[in-house]
Amino acid sequence: MKNPYEVLGVAPTASADEIKKAYRRLARKLHPDLNPGDKAGEERFKEVNTAYQLLGDAEQRRRYDAGEIDESGAERPQQRYYRDYAGSPQGAAYASDAGFADFGDGDDPFADLLRQAARARANRPGRDLHYRMPIPLAEAITGGSRRLTLPGGDTLDVTIPAGVVDGQTLRLRGKGEPGAGKGGPGDALIEIEVLPDPRFTREGDDLVLDLPVSLREAVLGGKVRAATPTGTVEIAIPAGSSSGTRLRLKGMGAPRRGGSRGDEYVRVRIVLPKPPDPELVKFVTDWKAGEQFDPRAETLP
Amino acid sequence: MKTIDLQAFLAESRIDRVTLERWIAHRWIVATEDGERIALNEVDAARACLIRDLTDDFGVNEEGVDVVLHLVDQLHGMRRMLAGLRAELDATKPREPRD
Repeated sequence: MKNPYEVLGVAPTASADEIKKAYRRLARKLHPDLNPGDKAGEERFKEVNTAYQLLGDAEQRRRYDAGEIDESGAERPQQRYYRDYAGSPQGAAYASDAGFADFGDGDDPFADLLRQAARARANRPGRDLHYRMPIPLAEAITGGSRRLTLPGGDTLDVTIPAGVVDGQTLRLRGKGEPGAGKGGPGDALIEIEVLPDPRFTREGDDLVLDLPVSLREAVLGGKVRAATPTGTVEIAIPAGSSSGTRLRLKGMGAPRRGGSRGDEYVRVRIVLPKPPDPELVKFVTDWKAGEQFDPRAETLP
Repeated sequence: MKTIDLQAFLAESRIDRVTLERWIAHRWIVATEDGERIALNEVDAARACLIRDLTDDFGVNEEGVDVVLHLVDQLHGMRRMLAGLRAELDATKPREPRD
C-alpha cells in the first residue's frame, strides 16, 4: 500500500478542501467509465479512492496520522461499473452512433458494416419529429385545437394552449417516431408560427388598428365599435380627437411569454365624405376661427 | 440481463426515488413502465452509479452530466462498431496457406 498523501499528490499538511480537490481532479481523469478500455487505470482509480476514503474523513485521517490504522483503511465495496455493461446487448439501449453515423452514408463494405451496427441497437429510442404549424393570431390568444395531417397520412390532434407566442414549440410526448425495443417513441415537436392579422400593424407585442371615424365623431366624440383580434369592443372617441390620436385598449394585444398580453392601440383616422359635401365646404369657407388655426405652427421654426 | 427490483436499485445506486425519476425525465436512464412498476436492469444500475459518481463525487452539474453521458454513449457506440468490425475482419480473414 502506498502512502495515501502520495497517491493523492498532496502534502501531509493539506487542508480537507485541498484533499477533496486533489481527489476530484484525479478521479475525474481515472474513473473507469470515462476510460472504458483502460484496465490499468482502474487499479490507480481504486488506489485514489482508498486514499480518499482515509483522508477525506476527518476522524479516519486523524487515526491514520496518529498511526492507529494503516494505509489500507476500509476497502470500498465493489462498485458496478457502467463500462462492464455498456457492451452487452441491453447496453445498446444507450449506445449512440452520433460520433460516426456519417461514415455509414457510403456504399462501401465499411459503410455497410456501420449500418448493420446501427440497426443492431436493440433499444433505439424513436426520433423526435419536427413540424411547423401556422395559426391565426386570434387562435394564439384564445387557444384551440387542430388536427395536423402528417406526411405519411396519419393525423395528430394538437391542443393549442391560450397565449402561445410565435416561435414557441409544443411537445407532444411519445408522438414522434416509434422506437425499437425498450427505447420508446420520440416526441413530436410542433413549432407555432403566429400569422399576422392583416387588420393590425404589429409593434412588438402591441397591435395598432387604424380606425376610420367621421368628422362628426372626431369633433363631438362618440361611441364606435372597433375590432380586436378576437372580436369587437365598443370604445369612446373623445370629443376633439385628431387623426393620429391613439386610444389604448389595455391587454388586447398579442400574447407574450409568461402569459400576459400586449396592448391594442386604436389610431383615429378622420375620413371626409366623398365627393365633398357642399354644406361642409360652405361651413368651412365661412368658418373664421378655422382661418387662424395653424396646426403646423409648432413644427416650423 | 437481470431486471432489478426498484428498492434494490435505489439501494445499490445510493439515490432516492425522486432523483431516479428526475434522471428518467432527463432520459439519462431509460426505464420501461411495466404497468405501475418501473422496470430497470443491471445496465441501468451501472449507469446510475456512474451518474451518481459524476454528480456527487466529481462536482459535475446537470448540464455537465448531459454532455458527459452523450460523449460516453458515443464512445460505447464507437466501441461496439469497432468490435463488429473486428468480428467481420476475423470472419473474412484468408486462411494461412499450409506447407
